[in-house]
Amino acid sequence: MACAAITVGLCVYLCGLLLSIVGNTGSGSSAVVRVVKSRLFAAWLVPAWLDLGFEHRLTWGVPEDADHALEIRGQSGNRPPLPLPGPTGGERAARWRRLARSIASDGEEGENSAILATAVAAGTFDDLGTEDVRIRVLRSPVADRATGTAPPVEQAYAARVRRIAGDLQLIKDEPRGEVAPLSQPAAREPQPTPAADPTGAKP
Amino acid sequence: MSPNAIRRAEADAPGLAPARVPGLAGTWLNFWFTPAPAEPLAVVRMLTATLGLLLAWSYAGDLQTWFGPQGMIPVETARQWRPAFGVSLFDLAATSSAVTASFATLVVVFILLGVGFMTQAAAIVAAVLWASLLHRGPMLAGPADDCLAVLLWCVALGPSGQVWSVDRLLADRLGHGPAQPTVRACIAVGLLQVHAAAIAAAGLLSQLKGDVWWDGTAAWWLAGRADSRLVDLTAAFTGSEYLMNLVTHAITGFEAVFAAGLWFTATQTPLARAGLVAWPLIGLVAGEPLWGFAMGIFCVPLAGRGLFTARAA
Repeated sequence: MACAAITVGLCVYLCGLLLSIVGNTGSGSSAVVRVVKSRLFAAWLVPAWLDLGFEHRLTWGVPEDADHALEIRGQSGNRPPLPLPGPTGGERAARWRRLARSIASDGEEGENSAILATAVAAGTFDDLGTEDVRIRVLRSPVADRATGTAPPVEQAYAARVRRIAGDLQLIKDEPRGEVAPLSQPAAREPQPTPAADPTGAKP
Repeated sequence: MSPNAIRRAEADAPGLAPARVPGLAGTWLNFWFTPAPAEPLAVVRMLTATLGLLLAWSYAGDLQTWFGPQGMIPVETARQWRPAFGVSLFDLAATSSAVTASFATLVVVFILLGVGFMTQAAAIVAAVLWASLLHRGPMLAGPADDCLAVLLWCVALGPSGQVWSVDRLLADRLGHGPAQPTVRACIAVGLLQVHAAAIAAAGLLSQLKGDVWWDGTAAWWLAGRADSRLVDLTAAFTGSEYLMNLVTHAITGFEAVFAAGLWFTATQTPLARAGLVAWPLIGLVAGEPLWGFAMGIFCVPLAGRGLFTARAA
């Protein structure tokens, strides 16, 4: 009897493990898998930190896999910027890099990254002595193997965070193209030659 | 399984000993319900506690910066990030001293787990507190943290404090008999084996979605991260493309062979022993040394299967 009960428990857990791996990775799992996992298994696997996909890819050779770092400075620039992780190393520095990467690579909507960037920046108000700071995520691209030279550090995310009348505001730096879309000059398009107005009125 | 072992198991745990069932059912029963010695789990317990202390140390310096009352990751932000059903006992720590006290409790529990004092309770509390800490800042968690969570639950499931522990010393002083092989130890070791294979397979499948693991340049991308790398192999890879390709394909090749080979009697122990060396090396190359260490811990019970069994006998 005990053996049967344990067998059932093991089978249920192994099903949960399989569905977690399938459903928590970028494998493109079906909606059925996700729903079954969330309804039957997430409630007890998530609190135990066992609802994991184990998607330890190490690298895909994409820019998001490069090293990321945070830089937070007062908007006025009176104090030196706060580099994070700074001089630390090992797993402690790796956690800072994960934090920076989370801010920089949170999908297209970027709601979570905005929330996180705001919270992280607000957490430095006391250290920087100001409530108007600029937060940047800097990405260090991997060097080209042929030349051995590393490209310059890129800015993966930047925003201004300030507190006004008790409310936190985040003003994200948008790429220039999104703010001011380029438009073709009208002169390049073939324009019909207007006929001369006999009254002499200007168009 | 020998008849003597079955008789002993039946005497120790009536109803839990594997019967002589042929076929798939027999394989299942032998895998999960053959009484096993506690020594492998004791080694896993000590190594897991060490890993837990190392990972906890990486939180210690920035604990207040992240989780303090004026920290960078307020409770509301963490709740936005973690999935539904995610809960954290650290949410209740609203003051600096409460955060420090919660974290200190976790460290003390890891120490108790390492020395094997009140082992069962310590393992459960450690697993709960560790999951809570990860849920408090999910964006900070890495692969080693995931593996530690699994290891802790496996240790909590088995009788890891029966040998090589303070609990054992106390039991000897009270005149209790020596530790016997148990079904719980077998289940815990079985779960370690399942997870070791699952993690290796999931990692491999994930990697193979990236072109760099096919064209042999992934090792360059790992070595080229100047901030996170532990060893600088860029000069070697620049000098020899073959070496770079070899390292890349060796990683995926080992993961594939490891995930599959753990399920065959002939290859299980040699692969697990190879894993004791290979996983830390992969972790070193990838800039994730503690993840490599964690994967090495998964290999311990299988690597020492013959040694532990002989000692128990």
